[in-house]
Amino acid sequence: MSKDVIVTQHISKTYGKPPLQVFALRDTNLEIKQGDYIAIIGPSGSGKSTLMNLLGCLDKPSTGKIFIDGRDISTLNEKELARIRREKIGFIFQKYNLIPTLNAQENIELSMGFAGVDSQTRTKKAKQLLEMVELSKRLTHKPSEMSGGEQQRVAIARALANNPSIILADEPTGNVDTKSGDNIMRILEDVNRKGETIIVVTHNMAIAQRAKRVLRIQDGEVREDHV
Amino acid sequence: MFRDHVKIAVKNLRNRLSRSLLTLLGIAIGIMAIISLMALGEGMQQAVTGQLSSLSDVIIVSTGGGGFASFGGGGSTGEYFTQRDVADIQRLQGVKQVSTQLSGAGLAEYNGKTTIVSLTGMDVGVMRLQYASQNLEAGGFLTEGEQNEIMIGYGIAHDTFDTSISIGGRIKINGEKFFVSGIFGKQGFGGSSSDSLVLMSSRDFQKLTGQSNISLIYLRVYNVNDAESIATSIQTTINGNHGQKDFATATTMTSILKTVQSIIGILQLVLVAIASIALVVASIGIMNTMLTSVMERTREIGIMKAIGATNLDIMSIFIIEGMLVSSIGGIIGIILGVFGSQGLTLILNSFMSMGGSSSLTPIITLMSVVLAVSVSIIVGVLSSLYPAWKAARMSPIEAVRYE
Repeated sequence: MSKDVIVTQHISKTYGKPPLQVFALRDTNLEIKQGDYIAIIGPSGSGKSTLMNLLGCLDKPSTGKIFIDGRDISTLNEKELARIRREKIGFIFQKYNLIPTLNAQENIELSMGFAGVDSQTRTKKAKQLLEMVELSKRLTHKPSEMSGGEQQRVAIARALANNPSIILADEPTGNVDTKSGDNIMRILEDVNRKGETIIVVTHNMAIAQRAKRVLRIQDGEVREDHV
Repeated sequence: MFRDHVKIAVKNLRNRLSRSLLTLLGIAIGIMAIISLMALGEGMQQAVTGQLSSLSDVIIVSTGGGGFASFGGGGSTGEYFTQRDVADIQRLQGVKQVSTQLSGAGLAEYNGKTTIVSLTGMDVGVMRLQYASQNLEAGGFLTEGEQNEIMIGYGIAHDTFDTSISIGGRIKINGEKFFVSGIFGKQGFGGSSSDSLVLMSSRDFQKLTGQSNISLIYLRVYNVNDAESIATSIQTTINGNHGQKDFATATTMTSILKTVQSIIGILQLVLVAIASIALVVASIGIMNTMLTSVMERTREIGIMKAIGATNLDIMSIFIIEGMLVSSIGGIIGIILGVFGSQGLTLILNSFMSMGGSSSLTPIITLMSVVLAVSVSIIVGVLSSLYPAWKAARMSPIEAVRYE
C-alpha cells in the first residue's frame, strides 16, 4: 500500500461574507496516494481551478485541513508555502507560463535556482530533462521561438526539475493540437509510471479517461467517478 | 541564488532597453549635476585658499568694525589712522613691515571734462600684493621710484570721461599731470569694486594732497603663528590711542580665509541641494518605471511564485533591477560630471572675467565620487522598494490568471 501524498479534510473555499457568500468548494475530502494518476473534470466555474490552487499551495482553504506528505499546510506562512511549492509540487499550466525573457534551459534552471541547487547540477539536470521531452535542440530558444507543444514540453521539464512528488497540470493540452496533446500526455504518463503522482484538470473526456481515477466537480462538490 | 536574481534583472532591463536607458539617463543627469557642482565648489575653495594662504603673514588694520569688508576697499567710516598709530605698530614685536593706504578725493580732468574721483595712495610693493588677484586690461603695475604714474579702474578708463583713456594717457589731478601706466580689467560681481579706483604711490599722494589720511594699515609679521596675537595687541594699542573701544579692526588673513571658506562651504551645500532635486525627480522616474514593470510582469511574478520563488526572491529581483539602473546611471553621471564641470567652469570664467591667477579649475574629489556612487545606489534601493514590495505581495493565483 503506497502512502498518501495529499489528504484533505473537510476543506471549503468561500468568497465574500454571508449572506453573499459563495462556495467555490464545499466540504471536500480526498486521499491521493503516491503514484496516483487523477483527472479532475467538471464544467467551467465548477471549482476545478479552486481545488487545483488549494492542492498546489497557491491558496489556503477557508476551512478544513490539507496535508501534503503528512504536513498540514493550512498553518504555514507564505515562505513555508513557497518551499512546499518548489520542493513537492510541479505546476503545468494551460498557457505554458514560461518566463518570456529566459530561454528553455534557463526556464528550467530557474526553479532549481529558487531551490538553491548549484549551477553545475542545474545545467546538467536541465539538459537531461530537455532530452527527456525531446527538446535537446531547443536549449537556447526563447518561448516566443517555440511552438505551443514545445513550450508545454519545456513547462513539463520545468515542473519535474526539483523532483516533486506531485505534478499538477491545469488543462495541459488545452492550447495545443491533438498530436502535440497526445505527445504531452504520453510524457506525463511516462513520468507517472516512474512513481510520480499526476493530477490533471481537464474538460476533455478523452484525456480524463486515460487517468486511473476521475474526480468530477459540480457546484463545488467533488464526487469520485468509479470507472 | 543572488546570481539568478541579477540575471533575471539584467534580462528584464535589456528586454525594455529604451525605457531602461531613459530611466538611467534621469539618474545620470542628477549625479552629473551633483558631481560637477561639487567639483566647482571645491575648485572655488582651493583657488581662494591658495590665493589667501600665500598672504597668511599679512594683517590688515582698518577703521571701524568692518573687518573683511574693508579689505582692498579703504576705510569708509571717514576716520583715519594717525602717524602715531603707524609708529606704535612698527614698535610691536614680531612686525616685519608696515605700510599704509591713504585715501582722499581729488579733481580729475581729462580731455576738457572735470570730475571728482577718490584717490588711493599706497606703497608700490603693497599694491602688487593687494591687487595681485585682479587682472589688468592693459599696462602694468607702477614702478618703484617713478613719479606721477597712476593705475586706474575700468570705470575711470571707460565710463567717467567722454572718451576712453588708454595706457600713456595723461590725466590732470588737482592740476598735476599723471600718466596712466595700468588699467584694471572690469570687475565682475565679486569683491569690492576696483572700477572707480585711482591708485598712486604714497609719495605722490602726499605731495599732491598735502594730507596723509591713513585709511588702512597693511603689515606683515615674521611668524604666521603670531599673527592672531599681534592683531589683538594692535587693536588694543590703536583703540587706546583714539580712546574708542572699537576704533580699529585688525584682520589676519587666516581669519579672512576661514570666513571665505565657510561662505564657500555654504554655497557648495546650496549648490548640491539644488542638484539633489534632479536626483529626487530621477528616483521618482525609477519608481514609476518599476511600477509599470511590476504591472506588466504580474503574470511572470505569479509564475515565479508558483514554481517556488519566495516573496524575498521577488523583492530582491526588483530591487536589484532598481539598483542596476541607478548605479549604471550613477557611473555615467560621474563621467558626464567630469566633462560637465569643465564646461561649467569655462562658462563661469568667461562670465565673471576672473582671468589671470584666479581662474577656476574644477576639482573632483574621491569623496564626491564615493558620495555619488553611494547616493545613486541608495536612490535605486529606495525607489524600487515600494514597487518590489507590491510585486512580492501579489497573490500567485491572480498573477497567473492575469492576462
